Formats: sequence, C-alpha cells, structure tokens
Amino acid sequence: MSLLILENVTKRFGGLVAVDQVSLEIKHGEFVGIVGPNGSGKTTLFNVINGVFFPEEGRVIFEGLDITTLPPYKRAPLGIGRTFQIPRPFASATVRENVAVGAMFGTLSGKVNVDESLEIADQTIERVGLKEHRNKQAGTLTPVEKKLMEIARALAMKPKLLLMDEAMAGMHPNDIDQMVAFIKQVAEEDKIAIVAMVEHIMRAVVGMAEKVIVLHQGAKLVDAPTKEALEDPKVVEVYLGRPSEK
Amino acid sequence: MKKESTKYYPLIPVFAAYLVLFLIGRNVPGMWQLVAMLLFYCALGQAFNIFLGMTGYVDFGYVAFMGVGTYGMALAITKLAHIEGLGIAIIIIGFVMALFMATLLSLAVGAVALRLRGAYFAIATIGVNEGLRFFIEGARIWNGSEGLIFTAQLNQILGRETASTLMTFWADIMVLIIAVSAAFITLYYIRSKIGYALTALREDEDAAKVMGINVTKYKIIAFVTSACFAGLLGAASWALKTPYVFPPEVFEIHYTIEAIIIVLLGGSGTLLGPVVGGLIYGISKYYLSIFIPGFQLLIFAPIIIIIIVLFPEGVVGMLKNRFKDSALAQFII
Ligand SMILES: Nc1ncnc2c1ncn2[C@@H]1O[C@H](COP(=O)(O)OP(=O)(O)OP(=O)(O)O)[C@@H](O)[C@H]1O
Ligand SMILES: [Mg+2]
Repeated sequence: MSLLILENVTKRFGGLVAVDQVSLEIKHGEFVGIVGPNGSGKTTLFNVINGVFFPEEGRVIFEGLDITTLPPYKRAPLGIGRTFQIPRPFASATVRENVAVGAMFGTLSGKVNVDESLEIADQTIERVGLKEHRNKQAGTLTPVEKKLMEIARALAMKPKLLLMDEAMAGMHPNDIDQMVAFIKQVAEEDKIAIVAMVEHIMRAVVGMAEKVIVLHQGAKLVDAPTKEALEDPKVVEVYLGRPSEK
Repeated sequence: MKKESTKYYPLIPVFAAYLVLFLIGRNVPGMWQLVAMLLFYCALGQAFNIFLGMTGYVDFGYVAFMGVGTYGMALAITKLAHIEGLGIAIIIIGFVMALFMATLLSLAVGAVALRLRGAYFAIATIGVNEGLRFFIEGARIWNGSEGLIFTAQLNQILGRETASTLMTFWADIMVLIIAVSAAFITLYYIRSKIGYALTALREDEDAAKVMGINVTKYKIIAFVTSACFAGLLGAASWALKTPYVFPPEVFEIHYTIEAIIIVLLGGSGTLLGPVVGGLIYGISKYYLSIFIPGFQLLIFAPIIIIIIVLFPEGVVGMLKNRFKDSALAQFII
C-alpha cells in the first residue's frame, strides 16, 4: 500500500490556481524531492497534505485512509510531520519544550506523558546536534538552529511521512552537505518517507532523492527518478531557465 | 528527572506572599481592608491569567463571568432563604450556582468566539458583559435593573452576628482560598500537557495544530477554568461582601481592564506574575487615591506604561530571565 496518494488535487485562492490537478504517490520510506520555481505551489501542496488547507477538488489518501478534510491536528498523529519554510518555533518555550510538544501530541497513541516526552525530546535534540542549546528559548536560536529544532520537533512525532519545506534555505554549502547526510541517515534509520522541498536543486536533490517531482504554476510537470528528472528538457527549461550545462 | 517535591517549589513565593498579607491584615490594626483589596486583585489576576496569560487571547467581556457568579450566589440566597435549617450550606449552594452559571456562559461564549483569532476574538467579546447587562435589565429577569438585595435573608439564615463576620472577614478568606486554588491549578496546567499545548498555541496556533494539538479543546479548557474562578470570585468578593447585586455594577468593563493590567504588569502566563501584578496595582491604586485623590489616574497610567515598556514580559518574566541559571530559577515560574 502506498503511504500517500494525491488524486487530482486542486487548491485555489480566489482566481489563482495554486495547486492544479496534482496526482502523486509516495511510498513508505521513499525519499522524494520537490522542486519548482517561486510560487509554483510547493508550500501550498504541503499545506494540503497536512491539512492547513482543504483542496477544492481531489482526494488526499494516507495509508488507505481518505484524509482530504481531516483537520491538521488529527493528521499529525497518523504520522505526518512537517517543517516550515520560514521556521515557526514556539518562541518563548525552550528548545526542549518545543521538541517535547512534538512527542506529546504528534504521536499516534496520544498517550505519551510529559516526562516521557521530555526524555524523547532530549534524545532527539542530541541527534540533531542541539544539545547545548536545549534550555535556550527557541526564539533566540539562529535560523539554521531553528531549522534543526524544527526537524527534531517533527522527528519526535515519530512520523511516517516528513514534509520538509525549504529544508536547506539559507544554509552554507558545507552545512547543506551535513544536513543532506543527516536527513538521509534519519530516513533510513527511522524508515520515514521524506518529501523535501529543496532550493539548490542539483546539489541537494542529487545527494538524496530517489525521485523528483517538478511543479510549475501549480501543475506537476515531471515525476521521475532523480537522474531522469534532472535531464528532462522540460525541467531544464522551466526550472533552471537556461540551457543545461551538460 | 525532577524530584516530586521540587515540583511544588514555585508555589512557595506565591503562598509566602499570601501568608504575609494575611498576617499583616490580622495583626496591624486598620489594615484588613487594604489586605482584602489586595487579595481580590491577586485572585482576579490569577483567575484571568489562566486564560489571558496562557493562551494570549484577550477577553474584554471577562467581567461577565464575575457578574454571573455574583448572581449565582445572590439567586441561591434569595430563592432558598425560606427553607428552614439550611444555614451555612446555602453559601455552598451559592458557590455551586456561581460555578454552574460561569461554566454555562463560558461554554456559550467560547463555542462562538473561540473560533475567532486574536483581535477578532477580543472584539467579539467586548459586547458580552454589556449585552448581558442589558438583557437582564431589558428582559426583567432576576429582578431586572432593580437588582437583588439580600442582606435581610443573610441575617435571617445565618444570624446577624455570623452574617456580619461573613461580610467583613470570611468573604475575604474565601477570596484567599480562591486565589490559592487558582495558583494550584495554574501550576498543574503549566506542568501538564495542557500547559504545553497552551504555550504552543499562544506562540503559533497554526504550527500547534500541525503538531497534533487540538487547539480549540485546549482554549476551551483554559477559558472555562478561568471563567469558573471568576464566577467564584464574584460570588465571594461581590455577593458575600456586599449582599446586593445591581447589573451596571457587576458588568462594569473596568474590572476587565484591571485584570488585564495586573496580568501584564506581573508577567503573563507565569505563576507568580499575577500576585506581583495584583500587589503593585492594588498598593499603587490605594495609596495614590489617598495622597492625590482625583489625580491618581494621571500618575497611575504613566507608571503602568513605564513598567510595561521596561519589562515587556512583566516583572516576573524579567525575574525569570534574570535568574534563569541560578538556584532561584526553580522558585520562579
Ligand atoms: N494563503 C494564501 N492566500 C492566497 N494566495 C496564496 C496563499 N498561499 C499561497 N498563495 C499563492 O499560491 C501560489 C503558490 O504559492 P506557494 O507558496 O505554494 O509557492 P511555493 O512554490 O512554495 O513558492 P516559494 O518557492 O516562494 O516558497 C502563489 O502564487 C502564492 O501567492
Ligand atoms: Mg514555499
């Protein structure tokens, strides 16, 4: 059974079609990169998947369950975690508390108590390398640390699907390599399907994605194994806007 | 892992403040009135903090819960006075009524208004207290605009002596008990899933939802809890201290404003904040009105603005940051 299926999903904002008849399929443990120019509907697609917006048309199916109109707080425990394009920490709470929230409310059983959550938080924070910042207010972290904190918060939810919006935005190339390695490791260890939106298409996508989906003006342009997708003339033209270097 | 006993350390400064107040009130002649007023403001701050402080939502109609609580007690006493042998039990029935009415009203208001966000919620609640007042007056329920006066009934049920100590002393003790209970509940909430959910939704409601938090549920929990304490406070401080209730007095918006100021001054969402805020507010108000009667607002308003500008997280918020890494940290939350 597929982990996630979108069937002809359309999301409009007034007259603007932000997501246009998109169908796609994500398998368990799969690593998928989503790319597309600014405004092509990447974030909106995430919002439809995790319930921030309901689509006007189409269906969203998670592990065989139709979740098209399920509110977001009910989707999270099913196993959908997410990070945001612009980090959204619970600013006044500590890093530890932020991550504990993920464990407390985002897990399927819903029976994780406060102490257990804090324990899970400590382990997860250590994993993303934020240990020395755990008692800092999340609002005081640097942008990159906030990204890591959000990843920890999502991982503490023990997701089956992790949606990462602009996972590497604003990162130094060295950090990107580290991040790619880390995310790949997490995906394998935790058996999480990751759908990552990546801006540095070549570097990051080639580094980790098995499959690439290219969006253009809300519609799906390409959906193919990474190598194939990157060589597709349509992608080169639309996404890169210049002739391939090859 | 925290030891069980250290979990309650943050209650120590709160209870110490109340104990000192109580001792001053009992032992320094002529001070009880001031102490009673301070207890009222501390309790008011603690009650409102559970909603305003923990969720970040501003309810401008908050006083309505105190109003219906006052009516709860007043109705219990006026309607049940004829039953022989009720004695002090009538007070308990009154509190139950107050709780019941505050719960009902908060569920009704919450079900509608808590669907709205931030400023829209605030605006939607502005009319609640006035609306209720005009409804009571217009529909002539509960004796309409004439209100309910029940001094005679209290005297008849409890005897003149007891009724008088109830008004001048025991009612204030009940306010103290309400404040202490509110402190317990606040700490319990802060330490439990409820507190984590409320902090998350206060900081970023959409992100909270995505993390699996049923934000509506937790907002309603905070709203109803806060309303219940307001109802009890109305019943104790308004109905029992002054055994009458007039609609314009108990639905007066300025109590809501006072509650907001106290919470912001002290440090919203903290346990100790409303106590500190209540003391600063109450003491300044009391002495300013003695020394410069009529002009107190002129001095008072800038003082409040200065404190809020200097300490945007309130006095306790500031202390919390200052002593973050010291041994004091476990007492200040
Ligand atoms: N809440 C909203 N209300 C109205 N229009 C919106 C909203 N969110 C997105 N849009 C519009 O939908 C389109 C797709 O936006 P979206 O944010 O999904 O693109 P994106 O691919 O994530 O872009 P970026 O690379 O800049 O993050 C844009 O034209 C955007 O202006
Ligand atoms: Mg985006």
